[in-house]
Amino acid sequence: MSEPQNTGPQGPYPPSAEMLATPVPQAQQERSAAELRAAWAPPKGWRYVTAVNNSEIGLWYALSAFGFMLLAGVLGLLIRLQLALPENDLISADRFNQFFTMHGSAMMFLFAVPMFEAIAILILPALLGGRDMPFPRLSAFGFWCFVIGGVFVMGSLLFNAAPTAGWFMYPPLATQDEGPGSDIWLLGLSFIEIASIAAAVELIVGALKCRPPGMRVNIMPLYAWYVLVVGGMILFAFPPLIAGDFLFELERSFDWPFFDPTRGGDPMLWQHLFWIFGHPEVYIVFLPSIAIAAMVVPTVARRPIVGYSWIVLSAVGTGFLSFGLWVHHMFTTGLPNISLGFFSAASEAVVIPTGIQLFAFAATLIAGRVKMSLPMLWIAGALAIFTAGGLTGVMLAIAPFNWQVHDTYFIVAHLHYTLFGGMVFPVIAGIYYFFPFIRKKMLSERLGRWAFWLIFTGFNVTFLPMHLTGLLGMPRRVFTYPEAAGWGWLNMISTLGAFVIAAGFAVFVWDLLRPKGAQQQMPRNPWAAGTLEWSHNIPAEYWGARSIPHITSRYPLWDDPDLVARMDAGRYYLADSPHGHRETMVTSVIDASPELVQRVTGPTWITLLAALFTGGAFIFPTFHMYAPALVSGAFALVCILYWLWTSTARPPAHEMRDAGLGLSLPTYASGPKAVGWWAVWITMLGDATAFASIVFGFFFYWTSKPDFPPEDAPHAAPELVALAVLALTASWALTLAARQWNAAGRIGRARAALITAPLLTAGGASALTLSVQALEPTTHVYPAIIWALMIWVVAHALVGLIMQLYCLAGSLTGKLTPRYDADLWNITLFWHFLCLTVLVAGAVIGLAPGVL
Amino acid sequence: MRRDPPPQSDPDRREFREEAESLWRINLAPATWAAHFVTSYAIAAVVCAKAPALLPHARLALLLATGLALAVILWLGWRAWRQWDYRTTGDYTNALGEAEDRHQFLGHAAVLLALISAIGVVYGTLPVLLLESCR
Ligand code: HEM
Repeated sequence: MSEPQNTGPQGPYPPSAEMLATPVPQAQQERSAAELRAAWAPPKGWRYVTAVNNSEIGLWYALSAFGFMLLAGVLGLLIRLQLALPENDLISADRFNQFFTMHGSAMMFLFAVPMFEAIAILILPALLGGRDMPFPRLSAFGFWCFVIGGVFVMGSLLFNAAPTAGWFMYPPLATQDEGPGSDIWLLGLSFIEIASIAAAVELIVGALKCRPPGMRVNIMPLYAWYVLVVGGMILFAFPPLIAGDFLFELERSFDWPFFDPTRGGDPMLWQHLFWIFGHPEVYIVFLPSIAIAAMVVPTVARRPIVGYSWIVLSAVGTGFLSFGLWVHHMFTTGLPNISLGFFSAASEAVVIPTGIQLFAFAATLIAGRVKMSLPMLWIAGALAIFTAGGLTGVMLAIAPFNWQVHDTYFIVAHLHYTLFGGMVFPVIAGIYYFFPFIRKKMLSERLGRWAFWLIFTGFNVTFLPMHLTGLLGMPRRVFTYPEAAGWGWLNMISTLGAFVIAAGFAVFVWDLLRPKGAQQQMPRNPWAAGTLEWSHNIPAEYWGARSIPHITSRYPLWDDPDLVARMDAGRYYLADSPHGHRETMVTSVIDASPELVQRVTGPTWITLLAALFTGGAFIFPTFHMYAPALVSGAFALVCILYWLWTSTARPPAHEMRDAGLGLSLPTYASGPKAVGWWAVWITMLGDATAFASIVFGFFFYWTSKPDFPPEDAPHAAPELVALAVLALTASWALTLAARQWNAAGRIGRARAALITAPLLTAGGASALTLSVQALEPTTHVYPAIIWALMIWVVAHALVGLIMQLYCLAGSLTGKLTPRYDADLWNITLFWHFLCLTVLVAGAVIGLAPGVL
Repeated sequence: MRRDPPPQSDPDRREFREEAESLWRINLAPATWAAHFVTSYAIAAVVCAKAPALLPHARLALLLATGLALAVILWLGWRAWRQWDYRTTGDYTNALGEAEDRHQFLGHAAVLLALISAIGVVYGTLPVLLLESCR
């Protein structure tokens, strides 16, 4: 790392008490406020859709996720209507299958996870006293991908073409399914999962690098801890599912037999990959709700949270343990008992951290002076329901009982108890709590109570009887049942209850959307909370924090009575915008000491276009239209390159920026100080997980099939594999060398390396492609998985190649110089991971057949 | 709740400086649990699929792995306990914005995580102790 001198922060830090007490002259306050307002002004008129600000994107994201939830809820009602009477024929069996599949899938993929991301995007910057997320355009891109994918997947219902195999798509049901239903599920939801990962990357970087100065890790809001944990879980849980989708879609489109036992495949692999995702998913859904409770509870109790470290422990601990649970869902599938034992054990262990969090909240409430507000009512309801769900969960973790009620309505009841208690109620609590922050208006107390009692009673009336229905033997996912079964009256009760829930939601939605123009201006911190989001101006301003404060405690608004006035006066950091840029502050990971002023991007069409074309690349293949998909993918690539080229890591016009309080900060960073580098790191962690899942698949076949690899099977040509590994490793070495030469000022050499490296990359990728030509992927799973590995590596090599050329172009045009070399740092990081991938894939393709 | 930074001796300052810490460190104990878990699962799966006769040996190996994992977690936990330094400072919540608070907070969190990881490892060993055959 050769960093020229004088590019670090200069000036006093932390600010002294006198510095903070010095008033800001009125004229300066007005000038700087006007500058900020201009820089952050949202786009007007129809250009409003080009906004990328977290307050807009987060709001749209939350509203769309909520919209999808209402649609999925309507499907739930239709399911209940069909089941109200025995031998009902309101909807056909096929429609019914579509409905429950889409109900489950939409609730999980279009509501539960996106809702977390939406709320986090909306409030995290404010909790951290910041202006925006570090990569606003990435959030915008993720949001548009989400909407396009969601509309596409839900739209299939209208054409009677929706998937029918249940929300976990077990093969062989789903692999042999006629029509595009399963493809829509696989491709549409993969697309959304990628958007989820993008949001997770953004949130993690936001929580790590964009905290206000002084907010060390031990005083950051608990919400930020949860964001880190949940973001990390998304990063490790979604990629296996994406890898599974990849294999699954290869099977459906090209008949590669990954899950077909007649040709050596094994449907169990899908179950493994699905549940490696599926069980953490339960906690991915549930932890953000706890996070909301962790914000509401101290406010309601009017005292700091009890057991901050304990809560951090539980969050991190749950994050880890929840990955030990995946086989939990496969008790009845005939795995060795001993393996099942491991998972049973992990299921019991995860109860501990969950319990600790609930105790910490209870202790806070007991130790405080509780003021029962509407958000707290919803939290209390959530606790009641969730505890009940937890009890049935412990029952289910006992393997013999699980065999008993497997696939009955008992499971449906348990599932909804945990999801309503762990997700729906806390989210609504969060909406009541944060609504005044988001819209600067209050929701109605009276309507809120109505909604609560309707939903709460309706919920119990619907789902409590289902435990009994299940114990009496009613299987889930049946579209009707005979009169003689005797479950009719229970089902009727459940259906009536479902409509009470619906009435409650109607009240809630009305409260949310009814015009509130006439309402008086609300007070600034209506709940008298202690965290920074309540320092925002009323009426609303688009700039987020007026100035970015220096933070010294967990509840700054309670502990520092002068804070808000000083923020308003622009006493703190980045109170102005002399060049009309949108900027936010980047600080160090542990101690949040100021490092950099980061310029953030503004409104643009390019993210929308990029999302549209990316959507095309995923949607066309569902109808087997591969040429348009390729074209669309190419356009998406062009859009993304244009977006990166024009707005990221450009050499700044001014090297340093006066940040206020005498502190002067650099405006450019590369390597680990730069947010972009962190984003690449985190993304690649997810990418590596997906790759590891495919490798896991290879070894899974080896353990589960005696004839893997088959005796006489042809193998990949070892010389070509070796050649590919050599060429790609050399390309990696050259990329690394290019970075070092460039930093040392030897630009000619760096360019030469960046010309040679792509050639090597292309050569390596070709050699790898050629090495497997003798294998016929449709004949057996062994050649198929070798091909899958090859495709994975070659696709990544192509991305690596584009990156090398991108940096070469940057070097030739002056975007990339020895001082401004962030791009080169980022692609080297990508190549580190790629190099590892190549070595592992090379070993599996080239060496494993000889060893096994 | 503002307070002036306490006068600090040089060794203190060195001990509390930012570069000496890392968020990774609090993840080490859970990562040990994860490694133990994956090893147990992988060994059980491979042995049961390829050579059920070796199961007694595998169980022994797994017990050794448990011992190793617990030793690692214990060591991590002990180091974290020292870092938390609860006995001498008596500061339980570490709610302030000083380097020392952050240092001890990370110690506290790591102690707790070591605890839960140890419990996780013990739970994960129960099946090895209780089950004697693959089926
Ligand atoms: C109005 C409220 C709701 C009603 C009336 C309702 C009703 C139902 C019913 C009857 C089933 C069973 C379908 C069957 O097995 O045949 C079901 C399944 C399911 N529900 Fe709900 N539900 C509601 C809300 C939710 C919510 C809020 C979530 C998640 C956040 C959710 C997630 C699921 C999932 C994942 C399944 C499993 C789907 C499958 O079997 O593939 N539901 N729901």
